[in-house]
Amino acid sequence: MEVSFLINGVSQRVDVDADTPLLWVIRDILDLKGTKFGCGKAACGACTIHIDGEAVRACAYAVKFAEGKSITTIEGLSVGDKLHPVQQAWMEEVVPQCGYCQPGFMMATAALLEKIPQPTDQDIDDNIVNVCRCATYYRMRKAIHRAAAIKQETR
Amino acid sequence: MSTENKKKGFSRRKFLTRSAIGLGVILGSGYLSRNLIRRYLAGAINELEPSYQGNTKSPSLWFEITAANEIILHSPKVEMGQGTFTGLAQIAADELEVDISQIQVVHAASASGNLDGLSTGGSTSISGLWQPLRELAATMREMVKQAAAQQMGVDVAELSVNNGVITAAGKSLTYGAVVKEVSEWVVPKTPPLKPIKDYKFVGKPVPRVDLRDKVLGAPIFGMDATMPDMLFGAVVRPPMIGATYAGADTAAAAKMPGVVKIVSEPDFVGVVATSRMAAENAKQAIQANWTTEKSWQTADIEAMIKVGQGTPYVIQKSGNAQRLLAAGEDIITAEFKSPIGAHAQLEPNGAVAFVEGDKATIMISTQVVKLTRGEVAKRLGIAEENVNIQPTFLGGGFGRRLHTPNAVQAAVLSKAVGKPVKCFFDRQEEFQNDTFRPPTHHVLKAKLDADGMIAAIEHNVSSGDVMFGSPMFPALAEPLLGADVGAWRGGMIQYGAIPNYQTISWRVKLPFATSWWRSLGLLANTFAIESFMDELALKAGKDPVEYRLAQIQDDEAGTRLKSVIRAAAEKAGWRDEVVDGRAMGFAASTDAQTPCAQVVEVSIENEEIKVHKVTCAIDPGLAVNPDQVRAQCEGAIIMGLSATMYEQMIVKDSVLYPTIYGPYRMALMRDAPREIDVVILENTGVPGAVGEPPLGPIGAAIANAVFRLTGRRLREMPLAIA
Amino acid sequence: MIIPERSRWFPVLILLLVGGLLGLSAPENRSNSQIEVIPQSATPLDGMQAFDQVMQVLTHKRCVNCHPAGDRPRQGEDSHYHNFGVQRGKGNHGVAALTCNTCHQAENNNYAGVPGAPDWSLAPRSMAWEGLSRVEIAQSILDPARNGGRTLAQTVSHLTEHELVLWAWDPGVDANGIPREKPPVSKVDFIKAVRAWAAAGAPIPAK
Repeated sequence: MEVSFLINGVSQRVDVDADTPLLWVIRDILDLKGTKFGCGKAACGACTIHIDGEAVRACAYAVKFAEGKSITTIEGLSVGDKLHPVQQAWMEEVVPQCGYCQPGFMMATAALLEKIPQPTDQDIDDNIVNVCRCATYYRMRKAIHRAAAIKQETR
Repeated sequence: MSTENKKKGFSRRKFLTRSAIGLGVILGSGYLSRNLIRRYLAGAINELEPSYQGNTKSPSLWFEITAANEIILHSPKVEMGQGTFTGLAQIAADELEVDISQIQVVHAASASGNLDGLSTGGSTSISGLWQPLRELAATMREMVKQAAAQQMGVDVAELSVNNGVITAAGKSLTYGAVVKEVSEWVVPKTPPLKPIKDYKFVGKPVPRVDLRDKVLGAPIFGMDATMPDMLFGAVVRPPMIGATYAGADTAAAAKMPGVVKIVSEPDFVGVVATSRMAAENAKQAIQANWTTEKSWQTADIEAMIKVGQGTPYVIQKSGNAQRLLAAGEDIITAEFKSPIGAHAQLEPNGAVAFVEGDKATIMISTQVVKLTRGEVAKRLGIAEENVNIQPTFLGGGFGRRLHTPNAVQAAVLSKAVGKPVKCFFDRQEEFQNDTFRPPTHHVLKAKLDADGMIAAIEHNVSSGDVMFGSPMFPALAEPLLGADVGAWRGGMIQYGAIPNYQTISWRVKLPFATSWWRSLGLLANTFAIESFMDELALKAGKDPVEYRLAQIQDDEAGTRLKSVIRAAAEKAGWRDEVVDGRAMGFAASTDAQTPCAQVVEVSIENEEIKVHKVTCAIDPGLAVNPDQVRAQCEGAIIMGLSATMYEQMIVKDSVLYPTIYGPYRMALMRDAPREIDVVILENTGVPGAVGEPPLGPIGAAIANAVFRLTGRRLREMPLAIA
Repeated sequence: MIIPERSRWFPVLILLLVGGLLGLSAPENRSNSQIEVIPQSATPLDGMQAFDQVMQVLTHKRCVNCHPAGDRPRQGEDSHYHNFGVQRGKGNHGVAALTCNTCHQAENNNYAGVPGAPDWSLAPRSMAWEGLSRVEIAQSILDPARNGGRTLAQTVSHLTEHELVLWAWDPGVDANGIPREKPPVSKVDFIKAVRAWAAAGAPIPAK
């Protein structure tokens, strides 16, 4: 079926099987490789994107539901050379190790900060449940707080 | 360290040569001397100095200088998160006299000729390349300077260099400009290296060179690789352990939309299709047959992993612990266990392959570029030189990518259709076809003297294989060594002042693949030994930190170990008492000659163990990048915590479970300690191992703290208090 | 295939068309569920028989997992706590950036093994069934103070028409591709039983 949506501000129309996971449309057809495949079961969060501003795991989201929606991926988080506060904070705290899960974490964090601009440690624990095998959680927590502060400063 | 194993300066290359000689000796000798040789080899391996197994003579294989005066460093070591690219850039920048921003590190394709003979693993990348890379970079610098002197018509001695710009008598040339004019290079003698104190980047917390790409989500991983006109493959993988492929009914799959070809091989069946979903859907429709000999359960595996079964190998011996611990009422005994562990790295295994005639190109996340190349060449029946492995960034390594049959499968699919094919594991296959961390069983025995100090101690470890069966090592190693080096890693007694001690490794071959998992046996062995040390200290009525310090010998290894123990205890404000519902736990280990001590602060909340703070002192000799040493400690601590507290695979009717994150519980944000304090000591001035050693102490440190809180000694991973 | 934007109105048109079609057509389903053959009951159920059948469903884990006693949903055939420490959140739809819809959409996703239905959410706390007896569950669903202010007729309609309730008979497959267990009474029999029970005045046995 044909599905149209806005992705990182660009309208796209794809013609694929209606149940194709949105993740593969994003990665294989639209060639945006920042959204990662980790498990395909909505368990690891490596494919977290925003759909109409909400954090969604793209591997468990059939493309047909994307009709008319506005999608943001890690490639759309920064604007030109200007990094999103979450990305800035991730740079400042030198969070990534292997880096594979990091786009998903940054997308989940960006969604969190839209809902809770100054999250507590408890908020972070409750909302950020992606999986990082390099276990960069210690720096991520610092970076999430830092991102909240950057967002506040630049407001 | 045992006194008989003090031989230093055993390079791995020398060791392998000696192995060949050793075999002759062994074949002609009796049991006793064979054991002596084995123990000698075990000791030598334990104190092995890392040495790099690739080209260290040709700077041009390593460095490419662009007209824009950028240096491209072609790294034969892969970047899997450990920060090696950054360390290499720092080292190279300092000797090349360029700014680190001028250096771009890329993975060397195997066709470039800059090929690592072994692997990226064992925490040896920075330590092994420390000397060769500095020499290569310094030589490269001199090479460019000589050419510049010629071009500028001045003597080399008159040149000054800054940020890749060579200046003499008011004239300046960039490296890039110099290089452009040179058609033939003369490799000079290796110039003297700079004193470490003059380095501008080595020893500094330089940001990772791959930081921006990773924050932007750039397509740098194997999973992101593409080739023009690429098709998608899927391979049917065995659903259970011990299963042998016995043909498949592919009729239905062949008719499915998008299917280009069903590929039937003697050992597997796969499909190539026009899209990933078409390939996956067709794969689901293939009815593969598997033969199995028996149905395995977790209990069967546990019954195999048992000290006392199989062949014992004494890998460490000092004094006569055996006689002292043979009988007597005053012998203290304890048992410990660890489960099957999964790698669970986030990027699944897979590859993009293109086989054209007698040539092949493979883009892949691999820790063993040369092995991958050899395996693909062998399967395709072509020359190794005709296979170009293009390594990508790894979405986690942890030992999972030290064996890469996925490259062969992708190559076979590509050959069958004559086009590039991308073929990856799904997550269930990752969990069920992993090369697991083997389960272990430990029996410890000790006898205390009148003062409560250890008179004799023995550590028995039974484990599945780690090194044996790995294509990285020759089959020759197996009869030669007897005991599996990986299984006993971290299993030796590090308290050399104890008069009698020995370590015995019991080898078990399990019916499924067990292999390298970050730090190998270190986590489980340290969990057992350091929990037992805690028990002995409490029995002796001594402070566990003082108790350890008092039983460490005074040689270099002992001195370094004592210094990290003291540093961790001091930084953490060590106290052996429960305050406000929180207790501390202590443990220490030495791995690949890097000592590490950790103090944890733990409470029990909602019937779960909660680790609040970890203080870690480590002595990697010299920290090329202190920030990345910290990062490795933080990650290793949380990964070790995760394995200690939550992770476990089980076997039910020959199927390995769980097959997914969540049920395979791993530490999440909420489980990670809120505070991790890392103290870095640099006692030798030469960089040593970093990536794995900090995984050692964490498990025992947590269990020791839990004992103080609950009075319960937890002897099995994953730790359970409910 | 990528079709770049050609006109500003075109996508809107497509959106209206496709959206309209989606709205009209029944949701597609990849589930392997078979068409059920419903045995016809010879005689109408009396109130107590109907109660028995209704309760066989309402006490099934497919229902109770999302009617938990606390603030943590349960999942699976063994009713373990939902993985990753998932929580109820203020509006029963999860927490701020980890809502139910982060993973669960309007229908089952059988590639991922993630179940879905419209308005995927937890039953409000007042509707907790976990740990309750059949009698207590029945009292709870008849009590407007706890059942969301529903009349008996509205409760019947909730039990027999709400898509999230009826999902119990189309529960899809799990992460390993294994079909989830359905309640022991068929959907048709359950709907009949609910109606028969209500028609009989929704009697509740003494125990």
